[in-house]
Amino acid sequence: MNLKFDLPAAQQQAFTPADGEEIRYCSPYDIGADGKMKHDGYIVVTNQRLLIISGQEAETELALADITYLKCDPLVNNGILIARTVQEPEEHILARFTMKHVSRVAFIAKGALLLRDGVPKQVISREYDKTCPVCGRALRGTKECPKCSHKPSVLWKFFKLCGAYKGRLAIIAFLMLCVAVVQLMVPKIQQVFIDDYLKAGKGGMQEITLYAAILISVTGVTIMLHVLRYWMCISMGTKMSMDLRQMLYKKVQILSLSFIQDRRPGELMNRIVNDTRQVRRFMEEAFAGMFSCIISMISVVVVMLTMDWKLTLMSVVFVPIALGLSISFRKNIHRRFHMQWHRFDKTNSGLQDILAGMRVVKSFGTEEQEAEHFRKLTDDFAKIQEKNEVFWASLFPIISFVMGMGVYVVTYFGGLGVLEDRFTVGQLQQFINYTWMLYGPLGWMTFLPRMITQLMTSLERIYDVMDEEPLIKDHAEAVELDVKGAVEFKDVTFGYRSYEPVLEKINLSVKPGEMIGLVGASGTGKSTLINLIMRLYEVDDGQLLIDGVDINDLRIEKYHSQIGVVLQENFLFAGTIYNNLRFAKPDATEEEIIMAAKMANAHDFIVKTPDGYNTYVGEHGYSLSGGERQRLAIARAILNKPKLLILDEATSALDTESEYLIQKALERLTAGCTTFAIAHRLSTLKDADRLVVIDGHHIAEVGTHNELMEQKGIYYGLVTAQLQMQALKGEDAAEATEALA
Amino acid sequence: MGFKNFEGADEEFDLAQMEAETEEMLRLRYLNKDNAVFARTAGGFVSLDIAEGEKGEPEHYDRVRVVRSFPFTAPTTYISIRTTEEKSKEIGIIKDITKDVSKDTRKMLEEQMSLRYFTPVITKIHDIREEYGHAYWDVETTEGPCKFVIYMNSSSVVSLSDVRLLITDLDGNRFEIPDFTQLSAGELKKLDLFL
Ligand SMILES: Nc1ncnc2c1ncn2[C@@H]1O[C@H](COP(=O)(O)OP(=O)(O)O)[C@@H](O)[C@H]1O
Ligand SMILES: [Mg+2]
Repeated sequence: MNLKFDLPAAQQQAFTPADGEEIRYCSPYDIGADGKMKHDGYIVVTNQRLLIISGQEAETELALADITYLKCDPLVNNGILIARTVQEPEEHILARFTMKHVSRVAFIAKGALLLRDGVPKQVISREYDKTCPVCGRALRGTKECPKCSHKPSVLWKFFKLCGAYKGRLAIIAFLMLCVAVVQLMVPKIQQVFIDDYLKAGKGGMQEITLYAAILISVTGVTIMLHVLRYWMCISMGTKMSMDLRQMLYKKVQILSLSFIQDRRPGELMNRIVNDTRQVRRFMEEAFAGMFSCIISMISVVVVMLTMDWKLTLMSVVFVPIALGLSISFRKNIHRRFHMQWHRFDKTNSGLQDILAGMRVVKSFGTEEQEAEHFRKLTDDFAKIQEKNEVFWASLFPIISFVMGMGVYVVTYFGGLGVLEDRFTVGQLQQFINYTWMLYGPLGWMTFLPRMITQLMTSLERIYDVMDEEPLIKDHAEAVELDVKGAVEFKDVTFGYRSYEPVLEKINLSVKPGEMIGLVGASGTGKSTLINLIMRLYEVDDGQLLIDGVDINDLRIEKYHSQIGVVLQENFLFAGTIYNNLRFAKPDATEEEIIMAAKMANAHDFIVKTPDGYNTYVGEHGYSLSGGERQRLAIARAILNKPKLLILDEATSALDTESEYLIQKALERLTAGCTTFAIAHRLSTLKDADRLVVIDGHHIAEVGTHNELMEQKGIYYGLVTAQLQMQALKGEDAAEATEALA
Repeated sequence: MGFKNFEGADEEFDLAQMEAETEEMLRLRYLNKDNAVFARTAGGFVSLDIAEGEKGEPEHYDRVRVVRSFPFTAPTTYISIRTTEEKSKEIGIIKDITKDVSKDTRKMLEEQMSLRYFTPVITKIHDIREEYGHAYWDVETTEGPCKFVIYMNSSSVVSLSDVRLLITDLDGNRFEIPDFTQLSAGELKKLDLFL
């Protein structure tokens, strides 16, 4: 999202920069003080001032140093920028804007406060604009407007991509030429047959048979060529979309998590699956057809011109008219069927609503009412459908008539030509056939613009990902380190957004084999600390050392292969339990796997399932409970004998007993393995070598359980609060049993 | 499990707070000209003074939010007066601002509401152009001429009643057509895709 618009010339008059003053942020605001839409308002933040420019005047001018409070307040379908200053200590409105700018102004307000505090960080927004700020076009999930940015055009990239399939393309082109030639031959053969044999009265049974044989074999050849061409196109489309999909998939894997998390879930999946499918469909359905249409149309026109240029012109004149008419018909029809589809959608969701809510409907006894409601919906749909069918049935013949206009003209004037002996009958027939060939593909061609735009949209989205630079990548001198397990934080500062630190100046030194329990209220940054150790993000400031080596100097893959991670939400791949367990160590023996499963207290429940370790899990497989998933994930993590073990609420979905069992097993395992554990149930962590309490972006307390309990600080508070909640629940349970008794 | 020091001095603290929060959640206080005094602030907002609060003590709020409970169906009744912080709390409800408060106060509150809610009313449709899944609108509104883009799906144009339409654009801005039967035949034709 652009946080620094160019200030238009007119508004620049309102702004005279002082010495060394430069614009850092600039955004339009589009609602005036009178509540009307405004087109000449700008919010400008320089390194010294904040200006609200209206037209050619600066309405408000604040020195950044005077601002005590600055915030973008999102209201309903609009937002306001509020400030407090030394001179005006009451909250007051600086500017008002529509939703288009709310997020932008929120970022800018943060940027202005950073500037005021002398923090040199430039706030950036990774959000995307919904519409192009320049041309107003809807952006379909790309950073820049493909029309307004001056990057090499997507189409050009697409041609380059096609370059990789030169061989196939050449064959396809050759096949298309053959088809065109054969198609052109057919009317010529007819002409010869009519003029030289039928009309001349020379033909006998033999000639007719010959003619039929020729026609049949020509048709056969055409069909074969078509099939061959179609087949080539399909194989090329499939290959192309597969290549694209793989490229995208690889790219997404390389790109850091922040890129993926900035997008809606499913959006990337869409790009990988749907957008590449769109490319394939285009290659299959449109690409070859498009070129063969163009080739055959051009060749037909050339041949017609050599026969009779006047008649050719007469028939060609109607092409644009027929094209225009059929496009407008198409629009109308699309509109109508869109409406029908829309109603259908409504009917469907209405039905789904009622069925899903059947229990509620029944329990409130409103069946009649709902039936009536649904009847109305279906009535609506039926009416529209009927109307559309009638429309279509009456319109279709008209369209066909219009599409044939050129043919009628040719028939009329050509017929005159025959009467005047300028043509033979065979030639007329030939000419009429060519005209049909000219008009035939028009109907299909009206689909082309839509198909091309769809292709372009998909390509734009694909290249938007492809062109992204990964934030985290191995640099040239990265080392392969055999991790021993020492982890050291040196003044580490990190925030998901550069201006909003989650962790600040963290200092912590962990010895190999130590078990660290991370404690803190939710949202304090425990998982964030662990994300840094996993190197899913890079620290903003300071250093994170693994065995004394900066984490940024490690080869990522090698490093990752030595850490084991169990999270609260654990993803299992579609496949057997066996395959899931040996995910990180494909050559693990059965014995190793059973040992790991036993250690994670998973062996028993696995063997209980009918298919044992071969049980299929994943989306459509055997459904496991949250606790069972977690135990599998633990087994998966320890199978690899990691040097660094990370447990982020890893046992949260387990009952106290299994947790205890796993705890005991892990204790044995984690001897010699540096462990970072986060647990919601604090009792789980009381055996940790050290507990680290995170609060307010900092490490607040460090020590063993007993030390911290004696300190009576934050940890003590958390523990007592938890015990109380347990006690409360216990009381409730007691009351409940009493009431029952 | 050997947690010592379990019986701390502040063990009742949590309980009391939860009770208080539940109490607050259930509270419904009506504000009117007798118990509440609203005043404009220098910054363009309104402040609120309640001379005698629930526990008898005076309450003062530098700035309050004025929020409709039923923005579409009852814009002048059940107006919730709330505190401004993020986890905004309700101070009280004005049942009907046309009756329960003075003319001056009503004007003040309506100003605040027209600041809070920005839903231009479409008075004239110049053009609706459909292009590949989006519709580009060019309209005249009560707040001036406007161009916007919506998705072509059923949630972009919602009927609030048989004649009233609410249109939401890509950015989340909203526009209203209070009665589409009042539009000209030409405008209706442009709109009929969404009806
Ligand atoms: N991917 C993310 N992008 C932006 N902010 C995030 C992201 N993940 C976490 N945060 C924010 O960082 C803070 C710390 O989160 P987290 O480390 O998950 O807390 P904890 O694990 O202690 O509950 C929270 O305020 C959270 O909203
Ligand atoms: Mg967490």
